[in-house]
Amino acid sequence: MAETDFERIFHPRRMAIVGVSSEGGYGFANGMLLACRAMGFAGEILPVNPKGGSFAGQTIFRSLEEIPGDIDFAVIAVPAPAVPEALEACRRKGAAGAEVLTAGFGETGTPEGRGLEQEIREIAARGIRVVGPNCFGIYCPASGLTLLPGPDLSREPGPVAFLSQSGGMSIDLAHLGGWMGLRFSKVISFGNGADLREAELLRYLTDDPETGVIAMYVEGVADGGDFFQAIREAARRKPVVVLKGGLSEAGGRAVVGHTASMGGSRAIWSGVLRQVNAARVESLEELAQACLAFSYLPARVFRGISAVGGGGALGAAASDAAEAYGIRVPEFSADLRTRIEAILPQPGSSAANPIDVANPFVPPALLGRVLRLAAEDGRVDLQVLISLLYHYKSQARAMGVGVADITPHAELAETVATAAADSGKPVVMVLPDLKRGPEDLDLAEMMARAREEFTGRGIPVFGAIGEALRAIGHVSAYYGRRLLGEES
Amino acid sequence: MTADRVAAVAGLLAQVAARGQENLAEHEAKQVLAAYGFPLTREILVTSREDVGPAAAAIGYPVALKASSPDIPHKSEQGLVRLGLTDEPAALEAYAAVAPALAGRSGGVLVQEMITGRRELAMGLVRDPDFGPCVMFGLGGIFTEILADAVFRRAPLEPADAHDMMEESRSRRILEAVRGMPPADRGTLAEMLMSLGQIGLDHRAVAEIDLNPVILAGPRPVVADALIVLRGG
Repeated sequence: MAETDFERIFHPRRMAIVGVSSEGGYGFANGMLLACRAMGFAGEILPVNPKGGSFAGQTIFRSLEEIPGDIDFAVIAVPAPAVPEALEACRRKGAAGAEVLTAGFGETGTPEGRGLEQEIREIAARGIRVVGPNCFGIYCPASGLTLLPGPDLSREPGPVAFLSQSGGMSIDLAHLGGWMGLRFSKVISFGNGADLREAELLRYLTDDPETGVIAMYVEGVADGGDFFQAIREAARRKPVVVLKGGLSEAGGRAVVGHTASMGGSRAIWSGVLRQVNAARVESLEELAQACLAFSYLPARVFRGISAVGGGGALGAAASDAAEAYGIRVPEFSADLRTRIEAILPQPGSSAANPIDVANPFVPPALLGRVLRLAAEDGRVDLQVLISLLYHYKSQARAMGVGVADITPHAELAETVATAAADSGKPVVMVLPDLKRGPEDLDLAEMMARAREEFTGRGIPVFGAIGEALRAIGHVSAYYGRRLLGEES
Repeated sequence: MTADRVAAVAGLLAQVAARGQENLAEHEAKQVLAAYGFPLTREILVTSREDVGPAAAAIGYPVALKASSPDIPHKSEQGLVRLGLTDEPAALEAYAAVAPALAGRSGGVLVQEMITGRRELAMGLVRDPDFGPCVMFGLGGIFTEILADAVFRRAPLEPADAHDMMEESRSRRILEAVRGMPPADRGTLAEMLMSLGQIGLDHRAVAEIDLNPVILAGPRPVVADALIVLRGG
């Protein structure tokens, strides 16, 4: 088979959407056409339906053959029995690939469904690559391709790629990552994976210069050995974060020995992912947080941190969380401690590390000086700043002003980013968001804007101390083990 | 050497399968392990009462007596393992207790060296539907399943994989110098783990392997009991 032209799949100039209906409605094809237009897809969109007509101001071609010239890519959203014919027509039109959104194939477990999926596989083998069927498609911010139903995803490209058997997980991560500050190279929902699936897509992303971090949601693999080789090679070059669905404790099969009775898929997958040095996560949120840390933090091992916050319990929580991930919170020398305490409000502060700055209203400039001083300790590789910005709501209320008017989040973000850049030691922000009732919608808006101020300056933000340390732990573990592997 | 080893073990497995066995008796499993260089207990298989005394004397007291039959994969659960027998009367008494279970079954009674060591480990092999042969390492004895301390790696294992298994296991601290006991010989343990994976790759007939316990005699691991399960069909 000729080499796959992934460039024409992810950045198509001419894209057919098969199944667009002139009768309107928000079927998959119509929805995808509107979503791609809303995203500002830069290429030409060519709707197709045997009934013709027009939709959203565009004339619908009666067949793929009617389209003048070749196409690069196609979205297919016709009923399952009509998919093979449409796919074959796309192949003859020169398309490098097609995504099949339609369900009703192998996943049904029926002979008809399996037969149709086999037909897709056979057409693909003749020279067109297929994403799906039973998927939400491809999101590529650089080109404006989007998932179903995603008219409002970011067009700003970034380093994170996501491979997923689940369409729901794909669109969820695209939305979740959007406000967290994740930026994507490619999100690929490959559904049943009749043709393109985990191992081959991993190899593509390993070599893809637009991708720096690979995340994946996987339920089952077509070929465990091939997947193992692909993910091991990928993780030697880039961080790989894996969420495995459908794990079981027991083997779920008749076994005789004790070894096999303990070798359920959870234990085996856990061992295999450690063997290939992939980061294993337990939820989509943890996956997003790990990707945030991998894409915002430098490629380093963080052995020691400083933890800075207003309140002694925050520091204790940070120390406890750090210990769980093998990260130290080294106690500062008497000299450094004295110099930091000299600038902090007294009484109530303490700078042994963790550093308790006494209250949540310490001015940003002062926090910046604390970060610079703490960075002087050679054992500190990274700093965690916990800021309870939500307390400004109480202050604003007492003063009778808006919370956004008095919260210095932009100034804090600027100060933190400068301190991080000057010291060469990254800062991770923790912004707990504890008031979330309907009476605090103004606070919710301020917190969202605060997050943007930080992520826009390259500072990752987490909602909880434990989540931040867990994500930092993933980065440290990955680069530490990769270094060991390169040495041996 | 390696090819000879593979052929010899394949021959043994074929013979066993031809007899319709689903499992290897302990003494058969240990022939497979011996071919792959595992450190094993010294032992003699006896099938008559008269042979017990001379066998035990040759091994040296104290000895263990065990029913070794492919039909009894979990012999200790059935009370067919007698440990710490210090003289011939004790050995003969144990034989009298164990031997009746073998009536009408193939196999015999193993007279086996007693390994002295308070630290027990387990290792094994399982075939995973996704990843094929995978090697297990964990805490041995009766706590293997209770504490579920078992870590897995896909075969083949590199030396670094085998060492990382020990590092990941919660039992890693008993491999260190604890309570006056010397640190375990991790090099040998790593070779054993790698060899388990190799057996899985060399012999498709092997479905599962349990080595439990692997006793640390001072620093030195010794396989005290072994079960090999064959693939049906």
